[in-house]
Amino acid sequence: MAIRVSSTVPGGADVVADIERRSGERVSACYQCGRCTSTCTGAFAFDYPPHRIMRMLQLGQVDEVLNSRTAQICYDCMTCSTRCPMNIDVANVIEHAKMIADERGIEGDEKEIRLFRLAFLKNVRRHGRLHEARLLTWINFRSFRPFNDLSLVPLILRRKKIHIVPPRIKNRQEVHRIFREINGGDK
Amino acid sequence: MSDASSSRYSYFPGCSLTSSAGEYDASFRLVAKELGIGLDEIPDWNCCGASPAPHHWGGNLGVLLPARNLHIAGYGHEAMVAPCAGCYNRHKNAQHELSGSEEIREQATRVLREPVRYEIEILNLVELFDREVTPEALAKRAQGRLAGLNFATYYGCLLTRPAKIMNFDNARNPVSMKPLLMATGANADHFPFKSECCGSYMGLAHKEIVLRASRRIIDVADGLGFDAIVTACPLCHQNLDLRQGQINKAFGTNIEMPILYFSQVLGLALGLNADDLGIDSHIVSARKLLAKIEQGAAERTARAADASGRGGASQAVCAAGEA
Ligand code: SF4
Ligand code: SF4
Repeated sequence: MAIRVSSTVPGGADVVADIERRSGERVSACYQCGRCTSTCTGAFAFDYPPHRIMRMLQLGQVDEVLNSRTAQICYDCMTCSTRCPMNIDVANVIEHAKMIADERGIEGDEKEIRLFRLAFLKNVRRHGRLHEARLLTWINFRSFRPFNDLSLVPLILRRKKIHIVPPRIKNRQEVHRIFREINGGDK
Repeated sequence: MSDASSSRYSYFPGCSLTSSAGEYDASFRLVAKELGIGLDEIPDWNCCGASPAPHHWGGNLGVLLPARNLHIAGYGHEAMVAPCAGCYNRHKNAQHELSGSEEIREQATRVLREPVRYEIEILNLVELFDREVTPEALAKRAQGRLAGLNFATYYGCLLTRPAKIMNFDNARNPVSMKPLLMATGANADHFPFKSECCGSYMGLAHKEIVLRASRRIIDVADGLGFDAIVTACPLCHQNLDLRQGQINKAFGTNIEMPILYFSQVLGLALGLNADDLGIDSHIVSARKLLAKIEQGAAERTARAADASGRGGASQAVCAAGEA
């Protein structure tokens, strides 16, 4: 088995300090009990379970954390946070790592979830509200996995669970202004 | 109970309730009307940005989108109700950020072109009903209609977490649905998976996460003999109901666990029509549960008739025996 000897990268401590400052959480307080990991429903799909992320941050291994699949996949359910005996909001720590990764333009390997999140927001930018039907078709098309959930389509249609006509709000300019206020509205 | 015409509440339906969770909207409006709770839908509301906005666009998109709704809702109402747990969570988070930062308030004011109003009280649906109707009042109207049923109360993540911002119920062991559910005549025994995650919005990119996470929830509810799972979140509902067939297929199980919205259960307790409450729009049928309610009603009528005319009834039995 390969042992990954990883960088305690220069500037790593700065990033950890940044995460601590912005999230208000004390990463250093983690004593590796593993409760966060034992409650996490997604850990089996991560590369590093949440308690490992905490340890890596303590060691200043920020490159690994920012590039991790964990930072991309974690869906912020906050179950881990409710179980931490040190009262660390673990999800909040991971969310801040995610934000910093995003600010640094780290795209990572989890293309589909990234695509979903961006498609969702672009859909909202356009209509002011979410148009589920268009979002689903667009995602299925773009991820080159047409009809990922084909078996659900007849169920959804039969129960009239989806609108074909996009919902639109009247004051779309105001919503556009919100998006423009941030990053000039583009991503 | 409040006066129907007062409309003290501003109502934020959100995207799910106006499309895939239409039955949540319908049942909420019906029950609110029945209980005399006035609702004004927020005019021209926009999407709250859901999970992706706060962390995947940069900046304060996750605050500014809800800020516009809070701003509109705050005009002339004392509180705003958001039945979708996700919308409730996003608006509370945004309010927290707005109240803590002058800079964000200025940003919101810039896009809204008016000083931002953000201080309106934000309620979820359980909180609203809890405030507007006492268990005693509900029990009086429900007359034990749901007796014999046992509901698994499922809260998921977004109603209570993070605890310091949501400030609602208990994040690890929430109990807020229980008093009103018990008032319907039903039981709401302890459901150990009440605050586990259903897999959230991972259905598209990592379906295996949702299937595994949601399976545990329906499996445990089934094993403990619950009649249905009660939720207040459209995303949880989608994972547990719409994907229940996929779960059964993936794990070779054969579970048939109805997933109902809290408002639908209250509606049934009040004697409202099951079709109007959208009970049939779910993928997993709740027909067995409805049959139990009907059977219970029939038994109660029979008992009442029996009590009021004991002599007549026993004569009828004798007559039947002779025939
Ligand atoms: S917030 Fe992320 S790390 Fe924590 S339990 Fe949920 S998925 Fe796991
Ligand atoms: S639960 Fe808290 S203390 Fe325990 S490993 Fe996780 S973060 Fe560290």
